Amino acid sequence: MSSLFVVSLVLDNLTKHFGTVTALDGISFSVKPGEVFGFLGGNGAGKTTTMRIVLDILRADSGSVTWNGQPTAEAPRATWGYLPEERGLYPRMGVLDQLVFLGDLYKLSRKEAARRAKDWLERFQIADYAKRRAEELSKGNQQKIQFIAAVLHEPPVLLMDEPFVGLDPVNVALLKEAFLEMKGRGATIVFSTHQMEMVEELCESVVLIDRGKVVLGGPVREVRRSTGRQVIRLAIDGDTELAWLADVPGVRVVRPGQDYAELDVEQSVDPETVLRAALDRGKRVTQFLIDDPSIEEIFIEKVGRKPTEELHLVGTGAASGGPGAPAGSGAGAGAGTGASTGTGAPA
Amino acid sequence: MRMDRGNVIAVARREYVARGSTRTFKLTTILLVVVGLGIALAPVLFRAVFGEGKQTTIEVVVGDSNPAVDVGSTLGAILNVPLGSTAAGGTGGTGGTDAPPKFKVVTVGDAADARARVLAGETAGLLIVGRQASDDDLTFQYVTKESAANRVPQIVRQAVATIAIEDRLSGAGIPLADQAQIFSAPVYSVAQADPNAPPPQSPDELVAGGAIGFVLAIVLFMAIVLYGQWIAYSVAEEKSSRVMEVILGAATPFELLSGKVVGVGALALTQYVIVFVPATAALLLQNQIAALVLGTTVGPIGMPVGLSIPLLLAFGVFFILGFALYAVLYAGAAALVSRTEDINQIVAPMTLVAAAGYLVAVYSSTGILDAKATFVVVMSFVPFFSPYLMLSRLGAGLAGPLDVIVALAILAITVPFALWLAARFYAAGVLMYGQRPSLRLMLRVLRGAR
Repeated sequence: MSSLFVVSLVLDNLTKHFGTVTALDGISFSVKPGEVFGFLGGNGAGKTTTMRIVLDILRADSGSVTWNGQPTAEAPRATWGYLPEERGLYPRMGVLDQLVFLGDLYKLSRKEAARRAKDWLERFQIADYAKRRAEELSKGNQQKIQFIAAVLHEPPVLLMDEPFVGLDPVNVALLKEAFLEMKGRGATIVFSTHQMEMVEELCESVVLIDRGKVVLGGPVREVRRSTGRQVIRLAIDGDTELAWLADVPGVRVVRPGQDYAELDVEQSVDPETVLRAALDRGKRVTQFLIDDPSIEEIFIEKVGRKPTEELHLVGTGAASGGPGAPAGSGAGAGAGTGASTGTGAPA
Repeated sequence: MRMDRGNVIAVARREYVARGSTRTFKLTTILLVVVGLGIALAPVLFRAVFGEGKQTTIEVVVGDSNPAVDVGSTLGAILNVPLGSTAAGGTGGTGGTDAPPKFKVVTVGDAADARARVLAGETAGLLIVGRQASDDDLTFQYVTKESAANRVPQIVRQAVATIAIEDRLSGAGIPLADQAQIFSAPVYSVAQADPNAPPPQSPDELVAGGAIGFVLAIVLFMAIVLYGQWIAYSVAEEKSSRVMEVILGAATPFELLSGKVVGVGALALTQYVIVFVPATAALLLQNQIAALVLGTTVGPIGMPVGLSIPLLLAFGVFFILGFALYAVLYAGAAALVSRTEDINQIVAPMTLVAAAGYLVAVYSSTGILDAKATFVVVMSFVPFFSPYLMLSRLGAGLAGPLDVIVALAILAITVPFALWLAARFYAAGVLMYGQRPSLRLMLRVLRGAR
């Protein structure tokens, strides 16, 4: 069967219930080959469940997942490299031993697995720990081992649940480099994260799910443009309050900051009116940037809470939203999407 | 269900190495080796500790009784006649031709000194021979620290009866040379009422057959409980360390489960070999060891009575299948708990079933239960019990080849079914966290939730 669309991983209308809780409610999206794909959603949105279904660890109640037209359950296991959200290593087993064991399961020869594992350990600057037991390693180092376990067999598809969480900047950089190298080798990478700047930095496409449903999706640039709104980054020398903005109609501060503030501008308002208003008041403008809303803002707008906040699944028809407005951010709901109940009031 | 043999081997290998290098494994192995050696050398140890096998010295004081026979040498000859040498079709003991005499009888002159030696424990007893003035009959007094009901005073009593008769016969004018013929055993034979029936087992054989069934039941029960626990622990540990999810990305639950059972099973066999090789060697070299330790030998050792090649083969097959059956169920059950502390609770029903089979096998092979009772016979075909009971029935000579084959066939059919069931529990259970194991949960899992 020939298709005009080059797609590799296709999720079609997945549903999954756990007892009375609906975890997935018709999830559909597709991932192009060789793409870095951001899989976004709040805690409890259904990301882990979706990944487990893709890997055939869980079975969907209905719907299908295909990889190059073939149900994923039938694809060779070595197709996937998986970094689960709940990290897990054999606590009392040597680091190198467990990597070789996993390589063995993924059909690498034990010798080759050991060679690659040593290379990776070297690269991640933890070669000294090869013989140590996993429980003796720090959390961050365990996470690096976990990452190696997922990529050791050079799988065509990487599924990574929060690969960067809990790492210091140096290790994030190390991991990011490895991440991009896998992409360079042609791997398709699907990863979830709460760090939205990672999405903008690494992802070509995203999908955002909330309570088991796809809220939006597509190439990152299109998603950011899709709101039809623009944001302004404004920095004025010696004025972080920007109190005078109250006089400018159709403009409000969505994110105040010491270095710059982010402003939301209604579609009818020409952003230049803001710049003009600043200059009219004799302000020294050090930064003025017209941009699309960030993924984080879109996330908050669509989901009604910040990416890091907890959603407690309590059966169908769960109450919306997290525990109130994020303190100090003054985040407001977007222009009447109706998708969320909105949190907090504009500052 | 997909089954990749490479993955099964990889999992088995990891299990074998990881579990085999634990301190628990090393310690239990050492302990079992010691226990095995202890059992094998029990006769030697027993004799070393209790002095059995050493010569028992009895001193004789004749005084002025002037018996017609040499009491010392006659007593020695009678006491050292091997036990059971007159029984037809003995138990294979060759009558102690190599072993030195068990009793050393010495005739001494001074009764007071001899009495002191008994008191000091240097000799086992002193036999004082006298003669009654009234009827000129011999009298005997055995001086010892033992109870009159003990074995040695009893055989001394039997021996002196013979000596007394010999003395009376001599008094009646029958020369000693003629007496030998009087005391020779008559022709005696036992004929079976039903000539077509297999010869009934002697009490010795019955005890030996029962003992074999008893020992095999213990070995199997230990393997099931000990190694079954290992598997359960291994599963729960993978779950609690959350490594399970990574592994499940690479292998199916079925492969994981099979690999675990194979790996732990292989380790169990390894441990058994490590334990049994020195124990068997010790058993076979018992004489040499005894000679080294005690300076005496304990008589020749043959194959334990009742142990035969077919029985050992049957044991091997029952052992493997029986272990596999319980092991997969232990693994499946352990997948339902989230913490290793909950293992005991979830595997308790299976341990109880295993213990029930074990106890019935032990009781019926020791004669507390009638091994021919209907419920014992029926249980010997039920998969969870057949490894124990069919073996003990076979050991006791109560089961024919057909019984064994039928029981094995039923067991062989049950194992894949148990594997399927356990894989189902496993697949559903391994990603379930925080739920208390309950019957409802199990039923939900059985309906195929994953």
